[in-house]
Order: sequence, then structure tokens, then C-alpha cells
Amino acid sequence: MAAALQEPTTPTFRDIDRGVIRVMEFPGLAYWIWIAFCFSLVAIAAALWTRQIYSGLGVTGLRQSVMWAIYITNFVFWVGIAHSGTLISAILFLFRTRWRTAVYRAAETMTLFAVATAGLFPMIHLGRPWFLYWLLPYPNERYLQPDFRSPLVWDAFAVSTYLTVSALFLFMGLIPDVANAREQSTGWRKTFYSILSLGWQGTDRQWRHFSMAYLLMAGLATPLVISVHSVVSWDFAMAQLPGWHSTIFAPYFVAGAIFSGVAMVMTLLIPMRKWLKIEDLVTPWHIDSLAKIVLLTSLVVSYSYATESFMVWYSGDKIEQMTFHMRYFGPWGWIFWVMILCNCLIPLLLFSPRIRVNMKALWIISIFVNIGMWFERFDIVAGSLAANFNPSQWSSYTPSITEIMITVGSFAWFLGLFSLFAKFLPIVSMTELKEGITFLRQAVKKGSSTEA
Amino acid sequence: MRIGANSTMSGAMEIIGSFADDQLCARGISDLRAAQVTDFHVFSPIPSHHIEHAMGKPKSRVRLFVLIGGITGIMTALAITIGTSWEWNLVAGGKPIISWPPFIIICFELMILFGGLSAVTSFLVNAGLPAFNSSSGYNSRFGEDRFGVVVKCDEADGAGLEKIESILRNAGAEEVLREAA
Repeated sequence: MAAALQEPTTPTFRDIDRGVIRVMEFPGLAYWIWIAFCFSLVAIAAALWTRQIYSGLGVTGLRQSVMWAIYITNFVFWVGIAHSGTLISAILFLFRTRWRTAVYRAAETMTLFAVATAGLFPMIHLGRPWFLYWLLPYPNERYLQPDFRSPLVWDAFAVSTYLTVSALFLFMGLIPDVANAREQSTGWRKTFYSILSLGWQGTDRQWRHFSMAYLLMAGLATPLVISVHSVVSWDFAMAQLPGWHSTIFAPYFVAGAIFSGVAMVMTLLIPMRKWLKIEDLVTPWHIDSLAKIVLLTSLVVSYSYATESFMVWYSGDKIEQMTFHMRYFGPWGWIFWVMILCNCLIPLLLFSPRIRVNMKALWIISIFVNIGMWFERFDIVAGSLAANFNPSQWSSYTPSITEIMITVGSFAWFLGLFSLFAKFLPIVSMTELKEGITFLRQAVKKGSSTEA
Repeated sequence: MRIGANSTMSGAMEIIGSFADDQLCARGISDLRAAQVTDFHVFSPIPSHHIEHAMGKPKSRVRLFVLIGGITGIMTALAITIGTSWEWNLVAGGKPIISWPPFIIICFELMILFGGLSAVTSFLVNAGLPAFNSSSGYNSRFGEDRFGVVVKCDEADGAGLEKIESILRNAGAEEVLREAA
């Protein structure tokens, strides 16, 4: 088994190109059925949203005092999912981590579509979404300006910056690969890739500026990713609601975001490497590295849960203690315990090296993590509102079919977009794989000449 | 048009050396520069520090544009936040009208946004993209698995051509071709 976890050194540059370009061949019927299925669910969700706009938020399960529930849970969940992409593409790039080369494009693509999905939810949550532009700070006749002391305004800036920078970062990395695909394709694909590659030819001048711009983009994206989920956490932590008002939220949310995001990368990559026949490029060695990050972040998240509970107990704040008592043992107590099972206990299996190379087991664990992290966000968002300061306001919440189907639609939207990208654009970075293999070969050559 | 070594055509021409390895290619570049040959460009399927060092070009100006972009972002954020607060005095929670700590968050986000936009824009401008015409000597294999050095020279300079070919071959070029420019 140890041999399976070696970094692959054997593929030639041509093998890499063929392996990646083969994935982009015209897809079969099963693929189109999958795409049609995804976008049918999106159409149902869009129809229900239209009905919600027409009828008002009464069609949802939102009632006093639970006015933030599944929609905001989905927003936080999808922003969190996005984070691992930037971790793998930017932070690990700065650390020159070689295993990222085979998986970073998929993770980065996931980031873009996850942020695009997350961005829909504040709009969906608005009773009058056509007034979304009120968030934009420009002199206007309404005498209504955004309050820059509100975390919701910080959020609008942070998420829109994140979406823009992620899209630019993904696009930049794609240019050399798309140019390569252009040379090896015909017909409309050649035209499409020619436009997208902007006439790239890999001259020394182009690479010199590309390398610098890419390095600086990675340097900018690294603090950005930390800031975005910190700002999302302040949407809650800046409020005085028990269960939300906590100084631990920013690092706790960032760790949780990376945890859920890397698990989502595994959920997507494990079946994808089989269906797209890229098992030679994305090997168990790469998946094992992802599993180790999931394990590490699971331990950080578990520690955060323990610290949060300890602070509630140690503070002596009776209201906070009651909220947490309700969280553990109230009507929604089962959600908390499912969360503990999925986020703290099941990932401990990843301590076993045998499980970390068992693709089926890893895929199932990653699904549990996704479920657990969704429940975590729901527990924080809706659970805290349901058991707030005043017992006379304590209430419950049951999601309506509109909210459930829009949530399902968001997953379908994300998976549909990701599937389209995976089939028509290089889902594995040919350039970075070649760079990694060149580095390894030269290191091996240097080592053998030193030994001689 | 590809022509042989004994061509009698006169005019500008290119000698194209094709290498299997970036280190060999970098050696060829260094040898060319040592022989005072400067009019050449390089194609490569991957970014290579060996080639970049051998070329001896100054560091990319993209850095400067990103710095300017980042500072512009901070200034824009300060203008938006302070300007808005002065224009509409909205007292919330007894906080000062100009509340620095929350404004720093907007400054940070716009610094990243403007810095990122500057990085991509300056990369495109400096790299000459979008490019509508092919660079001379381009071959699709240079995007795949070969490193190419394209030297511009004058066909009339027979001795010079042979010298360049010899430098490229000695550096480890797999193939050296002459092509009309």
C-alpha cells in the first residue's frame, strides 16, 4: 500500500496532456441526462422562488423569532465550501506543496461555483430582492446610504471581492492550459479555446509576467480567504444574541470552512477521477493528503466546540447557559449530536492509513462531514434564534417545501455548473503537473549525481 | 517556409532550437548571451526559473501595478466610508460618526479587490495579451513538451548562422532548424 502513496513521477508531458484532453472529449448520453436532471431541479427551485417573490416570505417557514433559517444556513455553508479551493490553490501554492497540483483546479472551480451559489441566498432571503442594489454605496436621491458599521455591509464587500478574485485567479491559471487544449482541438472547440486563451503561446515574456501576477494573486487571495469567513462569522458574532455573541467565531468559522470545503473536494473528486478516467493523474497519494487536512481541521473544529462550551460554562452567564442547554438537550438536540457524530467522531477514522486510501470509505466520510457541517450552521443560525433572551419568544421552525426545494436546487445548480466545467475545460492543471514532474525529475537527477 | 542549411535565399531568418529539458534550454540561452547574441525569444510549456534566470530580464513590473492598485483600493474605501459618514450623519449605537475599526475592513477588502484587478490587467498588458498574431517560430509542441529558442538573424551572415546553430547543438538541442522569418 505504501507504494500506492508515492508521488507519481512516470507520466511524460504528453501523457499528461492526453489524459486531461481526453476528459474534454464530447460527452455521452449519461452525462447529458445528469446535466438535464440537475438543471430540472434548478428550474423547480427557480419556479418556487418566483412564487415566493410573488406571494412574499409567508411561503417559507420563517416566523418570529426564527427569521434567519435555512437560506442563511445555506449561505454560510456555501461560503464555507468555497474556502478549501482558495486554501489549496493559493495558500498551498505559497507553501510550494506539490500534491496540490493535481487537485487544485477542481478545488478552485468548486470555490467559484460555491461562492456563486452562496451569493444567491441573501437575494433569495430578501422579501424584495429587486432592492438588492441598495447595498451599493453611491450618492443617491434616497438619502439612504449603507451603514459601514454593519457586518452585513462588510459581508457584501467581502463576498463580492471573493467572487471577483476567485474568478480572476481561476481564469489566469486556465490560460496556459486552454492554449494547450486549443492546439489539440478542432472545430468550435478550437474557436472557443482560442478566444479563452487570448492568444497565449508561452513566450518567456508571457511567463515572466504570468508568474509574478499569479504569485501576487495567491498572496492577495490568502488573507482574503481568512477575512471572508471571519466577516461571515461576524454577521452573527457582532449581534448580542446568546449563541452568536462569541469572540471565538472567526477562527472557528474559518477552520470549519476549510474542513467542510476539503470534504466537498473529496466528495467531488473521488467519483470524478473514476468517471473521467483520471486515476493516473489524481492518485491515492493526492486523496490521502486531502484526508489528512480533513482530519486536522476536524480536530480544530472539535476543539472549538469544546472551547465554546467551556466559555459558556465558565462565564456564568445564565442566559447563554440556557441557550446551550437547549442546543444540547432541547427539541433540536438531535441536530447537535448528529453534528458531533459527523464532525468530531467519524473523521477520527482518518487516523487509519488504510482508510485514507480506501476511496469508498473516504467518500462516505466526506458525505458525513458535509451533512455535519450543514447541521452545524443550522444549529448556530436557527437554533440560537429559536431559544433567545426571552422565553416568551421561544419558538420552533419547520422548513417549508419552498425552502427545501430551493436548497436542493442550490446543490443541483452547483453540481450542474461543476459538471459542465469538468467536461469542457481542463479540470486538472496540465501546466502545474508538468512543472511538478520536472521538479521531481531534476531533484532525482541531482540526488543521483550527488550520490555518484 | 522551412529551408535547408544550404539555402541561398537572402533576408531575415530564424534559427529554432528545440530542447527536451528546461535546464538544457537555459544553458543554450546563457551560451547565446555569452556570445553576444541578444535578439531571440523562448517558448516553454511551463514557467521555468532556470530559463528566467538565464534570460536575465528585469523583474516583472506587475508588482508595481499591484502596489498602486492596492493603495488605490485603500484610498477608495476611505473616501467611500468617511465621505458617506460625513454626508449622512447616521448615529448608530452611540458610536462615533467616523468609526475607524469597521472602516478598516472595507479598506482591506477593496485593497484586495483593486490589487487583484490590477494584477490581472497589468499581466495582460505587459504580456501583450490578447495577442491576435502568432509569435515567430511558434510550434504547437512548445506548448506541449518542448522548449524552443528562436534566434533572429541575417541569412547573409553565413558564419554567424553556423555559430548560433553550433551553440544550440552544443547546449543539447535535439533539433536545430532554419526558417525564413
